[in-house]
Amino acid sequence: MNKWMKMLSPLVQPAAAVLVGLLVGAVAIVIAGGEVLETYKEMWNGAFGGFYFLTNTLSRATPIILVGLGAAFAFRAGFFNLGAPGQMIFGALAASLVGLYMPGPGWLVSIAALLAGVIAGGLWSVMAGYFDARFAVNLLISTLLLNYIADLLAGYLVAYPLKDTSGSAAMAQSAMLDKSVWLPKLFSGMPLHIGFVFAVVLAVIIYVLLKRSVIGYEVRMLGGNPLFALYGGINRGTMMLGAMFFSGGLAGLGGAVEILGSQYRYIDGALTTADYAWTGIMAALLARSHPLGTLAAALFLAALQTGGQGVERNTEVPLEVGAIIQAALILFISARFTYDFLKRRKGSKSHGTAV
Amino acid sequence: MLLQMENITKMYGGFSANRSIDFSLQPGEVHAIVGENGAGKTTLMRILYGMEQPTSGTIRVDGREVTFDSPLDAIKQGIGMVHQHFMLFPSFSIAENIVIGSEPGKALRFDRRQAAEIVKGLCEKYGMKVDPEASVGSSAPGVQQRVEILKVLYQGAEVIILDEPTGVLTPLEVQDLLAAIKMLSKQGKSFILISHKLNEVLDVADRITVLRDGAVTGSVAKGETDAYQLSRMMVGRELKELNRTPAVPGDKVLELSGIGIKGSRSKAVLDDISLSVHSGEIVGIAGISGNGQSELLQVISGLMQPDQGVVSLGGKDVTGLSTRQIREQGLAHIPEDRYVWGANREATVLETGLMGHQRRMQSRGFMKGRDIREMVSRWVSKFSIKTGSLATSTQYLSGGNLQKLIVARELEQGTPFLIAAEPTRGVDIGAMETIHGELLKRRNEGTGILLVSSELSEVLKLSDRILVMYEGKIAGELRAEEATEEKLGLLMAGGSIQ
Repeated sequence: MNKWMKMLSPLVQPAAAVLVGLLVGAVAIVIAGGEVLETYKEMWNGAFGGFYFLTNTLSRATPIILVGLGAAFAFRAGFFNLGAPGQMIFGALAASLVGLYMPGPGWLVSIAALLAGVIAGGLWSVMAGYFDARFAVNLLISTLLLNYIADLLAGYLVAYPLKDTSGSAAMAQSAMLDKSVWLPKLFSGMPLHIGFVFAVVLAVIIYVLLKRSVIGYEVRMLGGNPLFALYGGINRGTMMLGAMFFSGGLAGLGGAVEILGSQYRYIDGALTTADYAWTGIMAALLARSHPLGTLAAALFLAALQTGGQGVERNTEVPLEVGAIIQAALILFISARFTYDFLKRRKGSKSHGTAV
Repeated sequence: MLLQMENITKMYGGFSANRSIDFSLQPGEVHAIVGENGAGKTTLMRILYGMEQPTSGTIRVDGREVTFDSPLDAIKQGIGMVHQHFMLFPSFSIAENIVIGSEPGKALRFDRRQAAEIVKGLCEKYGMKVDPEASVGSSAPGVQQRVEILKVLYQGAEVIILDEPTGVLTPLEVQDLLAAIKMLSKQGKSFILISHKLNEVLDVADRITVLRDGAVTGSVAKGETDAYQLSRMMVGRELKELNRTPAVPGDKVLELSGIGIKGSRSKAVLDDISLSVHSGEIVGIAGISGNGQSELLQVISGLMQPDQGVVSLGGKDVTGLSTRQIREQGLAHIPEDRYVWGANREATVLETGLMGHQRRMQSRGFMKGRDIREMVSRWVSKFSIKTGSLATSTQYLSGGNLQKLIVARELEQGTPFLIAAEPTRGVDIGAMETIHGELLKRRNEGTGILLVSSELSEVLKLSDRILVMYEGKIAGELRAEEATEEKLGLLMAGGSIQ
């Protein structure tokens, strides 16, 4: 019983925030002139109503989960990595380049492209970590600003040197990847690809690593009290570079699977307008950086987005209602009321035995 | 009768933190509550200050029954509390910290000048000196404490609760505080003093109530008791005498030569420090805190790099190595501040206890959960650390219990050299006995120990050699046999012997 409570406790806070978010959403729906129950029903159907919509949601969740895991890992170590958008773009770009230009059998190119995505995202992230360790450039600011550089640089590349000239459209995008390097679909005719499996497996692996491994222990202690970690013989600089590489690598992998599994080419702005990276960071915040919680939160946020599309297709209520619910969620998460309430109760209890 | 608590009981689930406690306070009286960690002192005061509700029992102020739902109610009834850890805003001025809650000024305007005048008035009235314009963060702990007391007085307190007030003070500051308490009680203010430093309690208190395991085991008036009787009432048994055999020093384990650290101004923080610690001896460092002891320990353990000089540990030059390399070379370290260096508040007791052992207790990169739990459970029973479970969050351990956990963790490293900085700060008599016994045992087994303590009695009791630090220099060295409090005090104040 107690053990269950402990396992579920990270979920109590998000669940309460979701509930209140839905209530605020209901107000927005009424103001927009919609029917609350009907709108939420359409939202549900858009996200989960039928196998196609379910797999569509899971497919959308895939890059969000990967980015979220990366963010959660960095947060756990105490590094506020907000560079996921840029790291994801570099991962996507590197995967596209390898997919387009590397010779060899399709499966090999595919794996190499995924690895290239991890390395590109990881290095872009490590750069910010290095600036912090070496020149004391604030990590939060550098990761944030490097996003613009990554986005605009990739945009330039696909608008000029790498631009697809085969098609008639004048879009800023790279050429299409060969079918042999596409990630296999899990079900034929459905959008869901194997990247989703990677994401779920990685969530479990990261959960176990953080909880049971020595490195995971050191990461958590460093995040909790850096001076304690230093005193105990944990090297902040090394840990920072490692954590930032891992974090950025996961974001890069998120970009790579999105290219190899869904978009098959790098399209300027496609990753940023879909807001994968920020949604992933939000998932990590929602779950207070718990890896499995991040997985759940990413699925939920993806469902909110696909559900919102469903609402727009079938009702008069605009897509933005989904965005309003999301915004309400962030607000209620930052309030953290239930969790702290539980904590206080627990606290006063053990105070009695430990004064 | 100003204040009366009758038959107070506080239950947490099945555990009773306070059992039918009676307590009273007269105007102008200083009433001390002593007891070991977990005896229920703090719980009783939290009830009086409105932070906890009693399960049963009544509180009367001037004969009227009152209930306190929050500290605000208690403050309205003239009860103020100074917590063990100061609750001040470091970046604000002393005057701002004192008048907070009822600031002078009109509408939205805060009258800074008037605030300073008010504080000056308070200082004069109560004979406690502070500079209203100085910032709290840059003031010494003793000054911060005065600020806390003035704040409580400004709020109109007639009863002032002081929770372990001398824990962070230097001996001189302690004298000032005790003098201030005596002076204020002459002016009619009453004090409740929670402490386990018996000599201070005996100096200043009119009455002393002893708690053990949540119940009152005795209440005695000043002059009817002594430290020996009090400690027996607190612990519930006779205390053992420390059995000290002469030291048998072996090889040098630690050697510092010419260590220097430049200060921000012209004065050096550490100035050409050379010292050595041999295996099988305890070298004590005495000194008023802030004379370079913290920096010296940080240099030895690799937390800070010296500007000059060489640190060698076990015959190897470790200057500039990482904290991990130095630990692996054979250093364990009981840090002087348990919250800053010694623990992660959010981690579990188990995780805080694991630090430094994690690389030893692993197999293929994963922690050996069962072995680790067994190890930490062993410490919990050996040092009677009071904790809900090993999965309890570290922040819920009391200061003394956390200290015991840290001491156990560092002793267990089994290294040839150990830094023990303030090893018994905030722990009770029983635990102090255990910790001192363990340190001596480790010395007899051949560990070299560098002891830094602001408690002269502790330095005198444990050390084989004593060094005194003053303004970043070693002001003198004494053998244990020739050292006395007077000689050390003289060196600590910058004087010289002979």
